Amino acid sequence: MDLPPNRIGYLPMVDRPIVSWPDGARVAFWVAPNVEHYEYLPPRDPRRNPWPRSPHPDVQGYAHRDYGNRVGFWRMLDVLDSYNVRCTASTNLAVFDHYPQIGKAMADRGWEIMSHGIYNTRYLSSLTESEEQEFYVDCIASLKRHTGQDLRGMLGPAVSNTVRTPDLMAEAGLTYHADWLHDDQPVPIKVQSGKLVSVPYSIELNDVPVFLQHHDPQDFVTMVKNQFDTLYEEGGQSGRVMALAIHPYLMGMPHRIDALDEMLDYVLGHADVWQPTASEIADHFIEHSYDHFVEHAAHISGEPNAC
Amino acid sequence: MPANRQEGMDHQHYDWSPLPERPILRWPKNAPLALGALVILEHYEWEPPEGSYGLRSPSGGLIKFPTPDYVQLTHREYGHRVGIFRVLDMLDRHGVPATIAVDATTALQYPWLIEHCMQRGCELIGHGIAASQLITSKMSADEEIETIGSSLNILEQQTGLRPRGWLSPEGVESSRTPQLAASAGLSYLCDWPNDEQPYKMSTADGDLTALPLFLELDDEFALWTRRASLDSWERMIVAAGSKMHADGQQTGRLLMLTLRPWLTGQPFRIQALGNALRSLAALDPIFMATGSQIVDSFAENLSAS
Repeated sequence: MDLPPNRIGYLPMVDRPIVSWPDGARVAFWVAPNVEHYEYLPPRDPRRNPWPRSPHPDVQGYAHRDYGNRVGFWRMLDVLDSYNVRCTASTNLAVFDHYPQIGKAMADRGWEIMSHGIYNTRYLSSLTESEEQEFYVDCIASLKRHTGQDLRGMLGPAVSNTVRTPDLMAEAGLTYHADWLHDDQPVPIKVQSGKLVSVPYSIELNDVPVFLQHHDPQDFVTMVKNQFDTLYEEGGQSGRVMALAIHPYLMGMPHRIDALDEMLDYVLGHADVWQPTASEIADHFIEHSYDHFVEHAAHISGEPNAC
Repeated sequence: MPANRQEGMDHQHYDWSPLPERPILRWPKNAPLALGALVILEHYEWEPPEGSYGLRSPSGGLIKFPTPDYVQLTHREYGHRVGIFRVLDMLDRHGVPATIAVDATTALQYPWLIEHCMQRGCELIGHGIAASQLITSKMSADEEIETIGSSLNILEQQTGLRPRGWLSPEGVESSRTPQLAASAGLSYLCDWPNDEQPYKMSTADGDLTALPLFLELDDEFALWTRRASLDSWERMIVAAGSKMHADGQQTGRLLMLTLRPWLTGQPFRIQALGNALRSLAALDPIFMATGSQIVDSFAENLSAS
């Protein structure tokens, strides 16, 4: 069926066109550091309270995350550098304004900056259509101003969105949306105009749920290795995507950093692994597979234009 | 209201029956343990109909987001697109037949997937309309009759077979459900995870067999609700299966593993299931069975005793 609200046609993994990555790679492995700023006194949003622990400010919650920018980011950077990881940084774009050294470090390395909104405490959920359109204008201009980069995609701020989000993203000229967790391959997202694809992100291979739910760094390493092993084996048939989502305030802690080293060493130590940015995955998919996926989804559903 | 402190259950659905006092249960070929898998294909609606009742915090996703909660919905959808095939392949590899609870929304909206499951020889059982439309005591009896009846009719229409078994969405029942399930002609009910053997349920509208799932080994309960590590889950399954296989020398035991494709079907979890099944499959002899095969064998035991 079409996943509501009818943006994604059903395509079973075992019956769909083959996805081929460059040089016959089995797995496209993208690494997404989430570089965030949570506001000390965020504006009130009646639908979601970013700091539910106490009346605002919640200095403990704030400082836990602030640690990521002051300390954790830099420790994480050393490990990422040692593997020359081409990161796709899921970035609250105001980070460039508040913390120019972090912005420069990312820009100097040629990381792709994926919008993660302006602040992690300002959600899309309650925005009107015109407010959301202005939001994309702001994101695109902010990134251009600070780095010269063209914005290519988004993970919604704190993974928030509206029903209109994919249409408005495509209208603003973005190419990929990372909020869709329904697949191990990119998938066309139906939009009113233009083309938009999902690039599989992960809320499971993600240090936030892993570490805030009492798992150890070694559990995370095991998860990452197992995820990779499964996708690598299946990727011999048709290319797969694996995302690793990390946050400086968690992964950059001294008791966890070695786990990141171990994960990267394992995954990048394999042949036939492609380590692109999210937009490179999206562009390759659009060029080689998008039309085949749309056609085949229509065939599966028995209806034309089902994808 | 004073409690009615009489011997036996505080409801009418089944009799009090301590395991040591039961007749001996023998599975085919004298296997001490029956092993099955109950796979759940459930659909969470984008916009549930007004007045429908859902769990306060259904699993999947991150925190509960304002609508539209893409994270929760797409996390669940992963099961239908990707995870189900990994889970079914892994069950096949170890010879464990799949019994699949399919809600009516899935049956209607994923015809390709239903056809695929039928071709693989899986048994499909009723599972309500959608995971976002629970059967609860807030429903009238007429609504509940309609819900059970229409979900069975839709499954029959989509598969050509009348389901014999039932699992309520999210395992939530009203106090009428066993009776209405019997009245709808169902043979077995999987909502009560309270035993290591099937047992008889008696209702005003006929008898049913209760087919207990194993809640603590249920992937959602272990991995999502309790956040057990994968190693811990694997060890629990093997320990429980091995102990029941040993205890089953006296009287047969049942292990129905509940599996959700969006959860266990994730790439990093599937191997833990494979490891556990490999250990269980090495227990010899073992009765690998669908829900119906287990219930039929149980019925033969009853008629023989």
